[in-house]
Amino acid sequence: MRRYVVDRLLGMVLVMLVVATMAFLIVRVIPGDPAGIMLGPDATPADVAGLRTRLGLDRPIPVQYVIFLRDLVVGDLGQSIFLGRSVLQALADRTEPTLALTLMATLIALAIGIPAGIVAAVRRGGALDQTTRGLAMLGASIPSFWLALLFMQTFAVALGWFPVAGYGEPGAPFLERMRHLIMPAVVLGLISSALITRFTRASMLDVLGEDYVRTARSKGLAERVVVMKHALRNAMIPILTVVGLTVAVLLGGAVVTETVFGLPGVGNLVVQAVLRRDYPVIQGALIVIAGIYVLVNLVIDLLYTLIDPRVRYR
Amino acid sequence: MRKILTASLAGLLAAGAATAALAQEPRRGGVINVATIGEPPTLDPSVSTTDVVGMISLHYFETLYTFGTDWKIVPLLAAGDAQISDGGKVYTIPLRTGVKFHDGSTMTSADVVASLKRWMDVAVRGKQAAAFITDVAAPDPNTVRITLKEPYAPLLSLLSLPTSAAIVVPASKAQAQLAEIVGTGPYRFRERQPDRYVLLTRFDDYVARDDAAQVYGGKRTAWLDEIRFVPVPNANTRVEGALAGQYAYADSLPVEAFPSLRGQARTEPVVLAPFGWPVMTINTRQGTLANQGVRQAIQTALKPSDMLEAAFGDKAFFKPEGALYAEGFIWHSKNGVEVYDQGNAAKAREMARAAGYNGQPIRILTTQQFEFHFRMAQVAVEYLRQAGFNIDLQVSDWATLTQRRTDPALWEAFFTHSPFLPEPALNGYLNDQSPGWWSTPERNRLVAAFNQESDTAKRVAVFADLQKVVFEQVPIIKIGNFNALAAKSPQLQGLTPAAWPFFWNTWLKP
Amino acid sequence: MTRLRTAALFVWRNKLLTLAIVLLAIVTVLAVFAPLFAAFEPGAMRIARRLRPPSDVHLFGTDEFGRDVFARVIHGGRISLAAGGLTVLFACAGGVVLGILAGFYDRADRVIGKVVDGMMAFPDILLAIALVAVLGPSLTNVVVALGVVYMPRVARVVRASTLVIRELPFVEAARALGVPTHRILSRHVLRNLASPLIVQGTFIFAYAILAEAGLSFLGVGVSPETPTWGNMINAGQQYARQAWWIMMFPGVAIVICVFSLQIIGDALRDALDPKLRRTV
Repeated sequence: MRRYVVDRLLGMVLVMLVVATMAFLIVRVIPGDPAGIMLGPDATPADVAGLRTRLGLDRPIPVQYVIFLRDLVVGDLGQSIFLGRSVLQALADRTEPTLALTLMATLIALAIGIPAGIVAAVRRGGALDQTTRGLAMLGASIPSFWLALLFMQTFAVALGWFPVAGYGEPGAPFLERMRHLIMPAVVLGLISSALITRFTRASMLDVLGEDYVRTARSKGLAERVVVMKHALRNAMIPILTVVGLTVAVLLGGAVVTETVFGLPGVGNLVVQAVLRRDYPVIQGALIVIAGIYVLVNLVIDLLYTLIDPRVRYR
Repeated sequence: MRKILTASLAGLLAAGAATAALAQEPRRGGVINVATIGEPPTLDPSVSTTDVVGMISLHYFETLYTFGTDWKIVPLLAAGDAQISDGGKVYTIPLRTGVKFHDGSTMTSADVVASLKRWMDVAVRGKQAAAFITDVAAPDPNTVRITLKEPYAPLLSLLSLPTSAAIVVPASKAQAQLAEIVGTGPYRFRERQPDRYVLLTRFDDYVARDDAAQVYGGKRTAWLDEIRFVPVPNANTRVEGALAGQYAYADSLPVEAFPSLRGQARTEPVVLAPFGWPVMTINTRQGTLANQGVRQAIQTALKPSDMLEAAFGDKAFFKPEGALYAEGFIWHSKNGVEVYDQGNAAKAREMARAAGYNGQPIRILTTQQFEFHFRMAQVAVEYLRQAGFNIDLQVSDWATLTQRRTDPALWEAFFTHSPFLPEPALNGYLNDQSPGWWSTPERNRLVAAFNQESDTAKRVAVFADLQKVVFEQVPIIKIGNFNALAAKSPQLQGLTPAAWPFFWNTWLKP
Repeated sequence: MTRLRTAALFVWRNKLLTLAIVLLAIVTVLAVFAPLFAAFEPGAMRIARRLRPPSDVHLFGTDEFGRDVFARVIHGGRISLAAGGLTVLFACAGGVVLGILAGFYDRADRVIGKVVDGMMAFPDILLAIALVAVLGPSLTNVVVALGVVYMPRVARVVRASTLVIRELPFVEAARALGVPTHRILSRHVLRNLASPLIVQGTFIFAYAILAEAGLSFLGVGVSPETPTWGNMINAGQQYARQAWWIMMFPGVAIVICVFSLQIIGDALRDALDPKLRRTV
C-alpha cells in the first residue's frame, strides 16, 4: 500500500515536470518578441530591452529553463506584465468562480448522469435506454458557447430569471456571487452529464453481468435491491474515474463558458492573457490547471485503494 | 390647423418642462456600475492613449485645460485663458488657488511644472510637444510659463486631452511610473481588482470651479458616492447586461443593439453624434502602395457607403461623408471630396494597370476586437478583389496589429478609427512619424504652415488645402462618419453624451 | 451475406443509429456538393439585402453582409468536416506510432507514458488555444494543434491494444519463429488495431468539430474571414436578437454532425468490442 502511494506520487512529480516543460516551451516558441508585443506600439526600445531583462528573455533558453524550474519548485510563477502582480496572486484571485463553477457543474452532471445511466443499463435496449442515450449524446454534441448564448437569451434576457453576466457587484455577498454561477453551471453540467451517463451505463452493464449479481438475483432479491446495493456499489469505481475525467472537461469548458458569461475565473484569465500576450500568465495558468487535474486524479486513484481492495495488490 | 398644432405643441413643451424640473433636482448619494470595453492597461492616462484609460482617469486626474461646448478649450486647473505673447512663443498660464490634491496638499506651480515635465518625458503627445518646448517655469506660485522654440498652435489642445494626458499630480509624486494615484479630481481612486472593477469614491474636499458646467469644463459636482468601472469585453454581454438593468451606463455598444434598447424599462440608448470616423490608413513609405497611382486606384475601387452600412446597419448611425471633418466642425470643407465613394471597379482596374500594378499582394491588417473594423474590411476586400486587386486580409488582435503597423515592411493598409479630434494637427495622418509615414513636399509645406499659424480663420483655409492634398495623394481613405451608441439607466440623470463619458454632475433619481 | 443481414437487422433495430447515419449522410452530401445545392456564392455580398429572415429565396436568411446563410452553412460544412477529418488522420498517424512504440518497447513506454500523461492533463481546448497561439491562426495550424491534442488519446488506446496483441498466441509464435518485428507489426498488430482505431477516430472526429468551433468562437482559430461554423456563430452572436438565424443554423449543423458521429461511434464500439457483445 505505502509502496503504491509512493510510486503514484513519484509518477505525479514526473508528469508535472512534463507539464511544466511543455508550458515553458509553448510560451518560448511563440513567434515575435514577447516583450515588444506586450508593451505595445508606444514603447521605446529601452523599455523593451528593460522588460526583456526583467523577464530573463535575454538569457539562453537552457538557462531560462533552469531558472524557471528553480522558481517553480518554490511556487514562484513569475510576474504578470499586464496585471502588475504575481501570476500566483492573479490566479488565486480567480480561483473562486472557477472552483465553485466546476463544483456546481460536477454536482449537476452527477445528479443527472448517474440515475440516467442506471436506468439506461437496467432497461438495456429498451425505449427508455434509447431515449436516455439519445439525450445524453445530444447533450454532448452541443457546443458549450452556443448553448450558453441560447441560455443567456432565454433565461436571462427574455425571462429575467438570472443575471446576464459577471460575478456580482464589488463586495457582493457569497450567495449573490453564486447566483451568477447558476446558469453557467447548468450549461456545463448538462454538457458533461452526457459523459457520466455513458460511463455509468457501461460500468453498470459490466457489473450486472457478473456472477455475484446473478447469485443475488437467484437468491430472489428484489431487482431494486440488486441494482442499488450490489451492482451500483461495484460500478462506482469506474464512475469515480469518469469524475476525474469530467474535471478536465469542466476546466476546459470553463475557459469558454467563463468568457461568454464574463466570469472573472481562471479560464477567462487565460483567454485574456492570450489576447494581451501576457506570457507569464499563460504559462502559469497552464501549469496550475494541469496541476489541479493531476491532483484530482491522484486523489481518485488513492480513493480506489480504499474502495476496492483488489487494487492494492496490483 | 396651424394654431391647434402650435397650441398642442406648447402644451407638450410645458408638460415636458414640468417633468424636467421635477427630475432635475440633483440628489447626493448612490453607487453606479459602468460597463467598459475592457480592463484598462494602466490607471495612468499620461502613458496611454487608450480611451478606456482616459474615461476612468478623467474622474481623478485633472489637466490645466479641457474641452467645453463644441470642443472649445476652457480652463480647468488653470484660472483662465493662457496669455500668448512673443508671436505665439510664450504661454503664460494663471493657476487656480486652493486646489486640493487627494492627499490633502494644495496645488502650486511647482506641482504643475513637475507634472508637465513628466508629461513631456513619458507621454506620446508630451514627447511630440517637447520637440517645440524650450522651457517650463514657475515665475510665481500661481503661474506657469511655457516657452516655445517656434509657434506651435496645437499646444493647448494637447494640454486638454484626457488621453496621453498632461495630468497634474503633486511634485513629490511625479515619478515616471506613478507609485500612487493622487490627483485633484472630484473622485478619488479607491481600489482595483483586475478584470473585475476599478472603484472610485467621492473626494469630499474637492474644490470646484465657479463657472457653469459645459461638457468637461466648468463646475464639477460629485453627487454619486461611488463609481465602479466594470470591464465587460464582450460587446454582446454589455448589451444584455444593460437590458437586464445591471449597469447604470454601458459604454461603446454595437449599433445593431439600438432597436432593442428603445422602449425598455431598465435602460435607454445614448447616442453620441457625430462620434468619429473609421479610416483605412495606407503605407506610403514602402511596398506596393508607396505608388501613389495604385493608392488612387484603391480609392476609386472602394465604396465606403456600403462599408458603412455593413458595419453600422442602421442609417441613423452613419453618414457617408468624405470631408475629413463632419459638417458642424469649423474644419469642415468640401475641397476635393468628388473622388469619394465611387466603387468603380472598371476604372480602378484601369488606373491600377496604368500605375504599374500587376497582382502584387496587398496586405490589409484588421482586428475583430472592433467588430465594425472587421466588417468594413470584409466589404473592402470584396470590392478590391472585384477590381482585380490581390488582397491578403490579415486578422489579428488589436495589440498585435498596433505592433505590426510600426514596421513598414509588414503591411500595405490597416483599418482604424478616431474621434473627430478638436485639433486637426493631432490626427495621425498629419504626423509623419505615425504609421503610414505620409511625407511629401506638398504635405510638409502645408502642415508647417498649419502648425505655426495662430489665427483660426487662416488655419481653416490651410486645412481645406490639406484636405485636397489628402484626396490627391491618398495617404488615408476616410470611410465616413459614425455615431457612437451607449446605454444608460433611466435613473441616471444629468448625463452629457461625450466622447469620453464622465459621471460627475450626474445623479440617481430615486 | 449473413454478416450483411446481421448488420441490416442491427441498424433496423437501432432507430437512433439509423437516424444518425441518415443525418450525417445528408450533411456530408450537402457539404461535399455545396456548390450544387447553394443558389448563392458563400462570399457574395449584397449589402441591400442584409439581415433578411429565412424565406424561399434565402432558406436560412441572410447575414450582416447580405450573404446567404444557407450557402455559408453548407460551404462551412466542407471546412469543418475537412478540419475534423484531417485532425483524425493526423492524430491517428501520430498516436499509432507512439502507441505501438510504447506497447512494444518497455523503455520507450516509460518516456512516452509520462509525456502522454502530461499532455492529457491539459484540458483539450486550453492546450489547443496555447498551440494555436504558438503556431498562428490558420486552418492548417488548427488541424495540427487539434491533432497534437488528440494524439495522446489514440496513443493510449493503441498502447493498451498492442499490449494485448503482443501476448496473443499467434504473435508470440511468430516472434519465436524469428519473424521480423516490422512484419509482425504490419501483419498482425495493425490489423488488430483497426477496430479500436475506428471507434476512437469517430469520437475524435466529433470532438475535433466541437473544438474547431470553440477555437473559432474564441477568436483564436481559423481566419475569421473563412466561413466555418464557429466563425459564423461568433459573428452572429451580435445579431442574436434581431437576426437569430445567423447563429442558429451553424449551431444546429454542429449539433447534428457531432451527435451523429457520437451515436455511430457508440454503435461501432458496441459492435466491435467483444466484451460488450457478450452482454447483449
